[in-house]
Amino acid sequence: MLMTREAPTFVQVTEIWVPDGDVLIHAGGNYAGKDGFAESSVRTSFAKGEGLPGKAWAEGRPVVLKRFDGSYFLRAEAAAEAGLTAAVAIPVFDGDTLKAVLVVLCSEDAEHMGAIEVWEDKGGVLVLNDGFYGAAQEFEFVSQHTTFSYGQGLPGGVWAAGVPILMRDLGKGYAFLRADAAGRAGLSTGIGIPLPSPTDSTYVFTLISAEGTPIARRFEIWDARATTVGPAKEALLVDGLCEVEGPLWSGRNPDFDAPRAAAWRGPVGQVLGTGLPFISTGPGLPAGYGSMVALPVYHGGELAHVVAWYL
Amino acid sequence: MEKLVVIGAGMASGRVLEHLFDAAPGAFDVTLFNAEPRGNYNRIMLSPVLSGEKSAEEIVTHDADWYARHGVATRFGERVTAIDPARKVVTGENGEVPYDKLVIATGAAPFIVPLPGHDLPGVIGFRDMEDTGAMIAAAATPGATAVVIGGGLLGLEAAAALRLRGMEVTVLHNSGHLMNRQLDEAAGYLLEKDLARRGIKVITRAGTERIDGDGKVEKVVLGDGTEIAASLVVMSAGIRPRAGLGMAAGLAAGRAITVDAQMRTSDPDIFAVGECVEFEGNLFGLVAPLYDQARVLAKTLLGEEDAFVMRELSTKLKVTGCDLFSAGDFAEGEGREDIVFRDPARGIYKRLVIEADRLLGAVMYGDTADANWFFGLIKDGTDISEMRETLIFGPAFQGGGGPSADPLAAVAALPPEAEICGCNGVCKGTIVTAINGGAQTLETVKAQTKASASCGTCTGLVEQVLAVTLGAAFEAGGAKPVCGCTELTHEDVRRLIKARELKSQAAVWQELGWTTKDGCHVCRPAINYYLLADWPLEYRDDPQSRFVNERNHANIQKDGTYSVMPRMWGGMTTPEELLAIAAAAKKYDAAVKVTGGQRIDLLGVKKEDLPAIWKDLNDAGMVSGHAYTKGLRTVKTCVGSDWCRFGTQDSTGLGIKLEKRLWGSWTPHKVKLAVSGCPRNCAEATCKDVGIVCVDSGYQIGVAGAAGMDVKETERLVDVATEEEAIEWSTAFIQLYRENAKYLDRPYKWVAKVGLGWVKEILSDAAERRALNARFDVSQSVYQTDPWAALVTEEERKSWSSPLMDMSREAAE
Amino acid sequence: MSWIDIGALDDIPPRGARLVRTGKGCVAVFRTGADEVFALDDACPHKGGPLSEGIVHGTSVTCPLHNRIFDFATGAAQGADSEVTRTYPAKIEAGRVLLDLSRLSGRSAA
Repeated sequence: MLMTREAPTFVQVTEIWVPDGDVLIHAGGNYAGKDGFAESSVRTSFAKGEGLPGKAWAEGRPVVLKRFDGSYFLRAEAAAEAGLTAAVAIPVFDGDTLKAVLVVLCSEDAEHMGAIEVWEDKGGVLVLNDGFYGAAQEFEFVSQHTTFSYGQGLPGGVWAAGVPILMRDLGKGYAFLRADAAGRAGLSTGIGIPLPSPTDSTYVFTLISAEGTPIARRFEIWDARATTVGPAKEALLVDGLCEVEGPLWSGRNPDFDAPRAAAWRGPVGQVLGTGLPFISTGPGLPAGYGSMVALPVYHGGELAHVVAWYL
Repeated sequence: MEKLVVIGAGMASGRVLEHLFDAAPGAFDVTLFNAEPRGNYNRIMLSPVLSGEKSAEEIVTHDADWYARHGVATRFGERVTAIDPARKVVTGENGEVPYDKLVIATGAAPFIVPLPGHDLPGVIGFRDMEDTGAMIAAAATPGATAVVIGGGLLGLEAAAALRLRGMEVTVLHNSGHLMNRQLDEAAGYLLEKDLARRGIKVITRAGTERIDGDGKVEKVVLGDGTEIAASLVVMSAGIRPRAGLGMAAGLAAGRAITVDAQMRTSDPDIFAVGECVEFEGNLFGLVAPLYDQARVLAKTLLGEEDAFVMRELSTKLKVTGCDLFSAGDFAEGEGREDIVFRDPARGIYKRLVIEADRLLGAVMYGDTADANWFFGLIKDGTDISEMRETLIFGPAFQGGGGPSADPLAAVAALPPEAEICGCNGVCKGTIVTAINGGAQTLETVKAQTKASASCGTCTGLVEQVLAVTLGAAFEAGGAKPVCGCTELTHEDVRRLIKARELKSQAAVWQELGWTTKDGCHVCRPAINYYLLADWPLEYRDDPQSRFVNERNHANIQKDGTYSVMPRMWGGMTTPEELLAIAAAAKKYDAAVKVTGGQRIDLLGVKKEDLPAIWKDLNDAGMVSGHAYTKGLRTVKTCVGSDWCRFGTQDSTGLGIKLEKRLWGSWTPHKVKLAVSGCPRNCAEATCKDVGIVCVDSGYQIGVAGAAGMDVKETERLVDVATEEEAIEWSTAFIQLYRENAKYLDRPYKWVAKVGLGWVKEILSDAAERRALNARFDVSQSVYQTDPWAALVTEEERKSWSSPLMDMSREAAE
Repeated sequence: MSWIDIGALDDIPPRGARLVRTGKGCVAVFRTGADEVFALDDACPHKGGPLSEGIVHGTSVTCPLHNRIFDFATGAAQGADSEVTRTYPAKIEAGRVLLDLSRLSGRSAA
């Protein structure tokens, strides 16, 4: 198996923060060799409203921060040393209860193409709340001037269906209203995730990966709803794509033979068991991947889906 | 090595090759023709490719490498033009290939409905990668709109996919509900709702007439004249087997190439597999039986024994976020029983069909967790008698009790600021405070908070708040459910139909958690009325939910004959009309009765004579008198100022105007009016639902009188000066009654419940009166029609009451 | 069994009925909301009401005259009412409604 794991990646650092009383404490992360930033992070905690994770908690919505200098970002100095310039905090809510905050950090330079976006329902259409695009500036501009109705495009599709959706070949004019700009930026695969919020707003979070600087080389969507798997703490792999293993979905209809994950078994099983995001840097990941992030999505009082991405 | 030629590289033949190469690599020298310029791909995944949720590469089953590895000579993009069974050769566009064994796997073609314009560019069947590519290209144009003809599995998948691509999409479906082959009405309703949430417009009973466009598709036109703009029309009206090649070669065929259980055609060296075959009269479209056929055919080719058998099928709609499953048999049969489970809050519907302790079929919407288990029970024919009671709850509940729905849970979940009484703006918190302060009955809550003190439609809700707050200490008093199908009262149902915009009976049954599949004789007429009164344009009257009199536009008598009564506007008639009535009475041997409402009733008419007598009366200029309806009956008048020396106004003229305005309207119960020309009241206006008494200064309008089981004098609604005002007020009152009363409450009963004060308060607002009149007009635009005149041709009249079959003569001989 | 093709399923409205007239009275052929077919004598055993004119719900019909509810499968009235009306085997094949009226012959003698 020949894969260039050393290739530059869009996301440099991923970390998990979980509430402990009235503060958020560090609960794992993948710092990819940025030891200084890792050290300063492990020792930190955030009160509600404090720093980027605390802000996402307090405001009940995902927050994009594209400049650390002079901002509320508390670890600015360590981040600067590690070459990190932007961050996105994704709060995971189960109803009104905060389960965790997932933070991804990136560096902005001329090489890194990709998109991490937050779409918000504004009076019946989804508009871009904010996003980080690295060097994909044309795509950023198009996105800022695009809105999505119910059922339209990746964000509108996620919004209407209420479930995560994985889309392929975005740049080839496939099902993607921003296809031309995406094609020129080399953006190929996108995953959209509905983000429940205790506020009145609806948010859709999208990760769009480019082949040169991928966010991930493998994506998985697991369905954990009781209406799909019954009362057991299990999940079915309903869609997935892997550069090594190819399509991960069942070709059957109905897909009775889809792979199943059980609580506490394997990385996805950790999410099913704890109900929290999970970050692993191996070993034991499928197809020899070196790292993975798994994000739980809650809906209607239950852990409804798990979205996982691997590098 | 034996020469095997395969025509068609689809899913069935691909599976045959896989089996062959697995079991006996090198046994055959294979040549594979495919009209499409590519090898085998997973055709059932074309919809996700169309939506962008899968890529074209991902659904390739066999790539060039696979064919090379197994030594398959591929002739892709080459059509086979003929088979010569005598010489055992196949002729392709690029030359002949001899065979020892031949497999025909030509599949099926989409059925293009031969509508005018079906051959315009932009009309596409949804079948292969080319179609998919063409649709993707069509969707790339900004502002592109699509119409999908056919609301079956594939059509709906195409619609959702095109919507995801940003198109405006309309689905036209001929049947009454979507996916009518796989789903029942309730599940079809949920599906339609789900698609609407995605911005997809669905038109059922569409009656597509033609496709229009100048050089390319521009619009689709329906039978009712509706035009839908479309730059793309997707035909998804089913498939037809591609059996022509086999038939031309002289193979036995019905609708497709006939095969035996070994997949052998009438020629011993020619086999067929997949959608182009017919086995014991059955055609195939789903993939599971195709794979079974492939396994059998591979064994047959290798000289092993196997036989194809029909199995139960199941299917799932591939629209992300739409959880739908259907399996097994819903067809007719005596002794079958349904188990229905609905959870309106979560949009869940499940139905099981059971016969003789076996599960025959299952439909699931919104909750498919147990689909595999149910499908297993169906396939295996498991005896389910032991678990019958809890079967619908799935395997997890076997041996344990199922979850019980708490009807009060929804009310308990309402926040304190939720408004309970819309009339007086009372919220839940206020009511709870009053209850905790000692108001422990409906009456005291009403007195202290004014909740349910006006129109009364929230009475049920207030009682539920009482029940939630007080628990067992409160016993709901007097709030009777509509019938055994529901816990809800008429008031609840009316309120919820409006508030939740329920526009079909299936919607009411599902959203309000009906416990029966399709209601009963008590609730169906009521729900039918509420729907047509609240949604005159959206809802279509259902004759099968009407009592016999309203369905047959005549009153059934105790001997099974009917009475027929033509309308006489305001009780006025003419010699010509009387002659026609007399002639009809003689012709159809009817008894003649003058009624209390100033009409002539013809009694004892046989059902089969009804259309003819209606036509005779129609021909004489008369229309149905609606003496059989819960609707406007008669306006009785006195002769008024034209003739009577005491008459103060033209009471006859006003009566005629009122009747011409109001006739044909459906109401919760019958409505009778009268107009008297002076206070001597010869028209007996003071015991009518609406009774107008003319005086020198104008018109006194009384309402809510009764002269039936109860006798009650009207109460004065208002005094007005002009005829126009009298008509406006009367109409507004009737419309208010139509919108708010419980089915089978006469106006006097309704007014007693809501209070005349409330009625007066509403109607004294001129804008409100105008709005009520406007809504009445909308309803009349649909319902003011003469049902007698609906039968236009002699053929229609003849067939209206004719038996499906008449065997009386044969049997007598 | 001797099945007689009496017409197309589509000729009967869903949740409705059509008649088959025979020398020994009329037989009502019902179609349910789930597209099943059943056949009963068209005369209610109570007062002779035409069952074909009743409201069809689930797998039963309510007599239009006095609201007795008859179960299609058994022909028996629901609840406290004890009447039973005669049923005839009916089925659908390829969209056609087939009826077996062999029980009819015994009717005049009964």
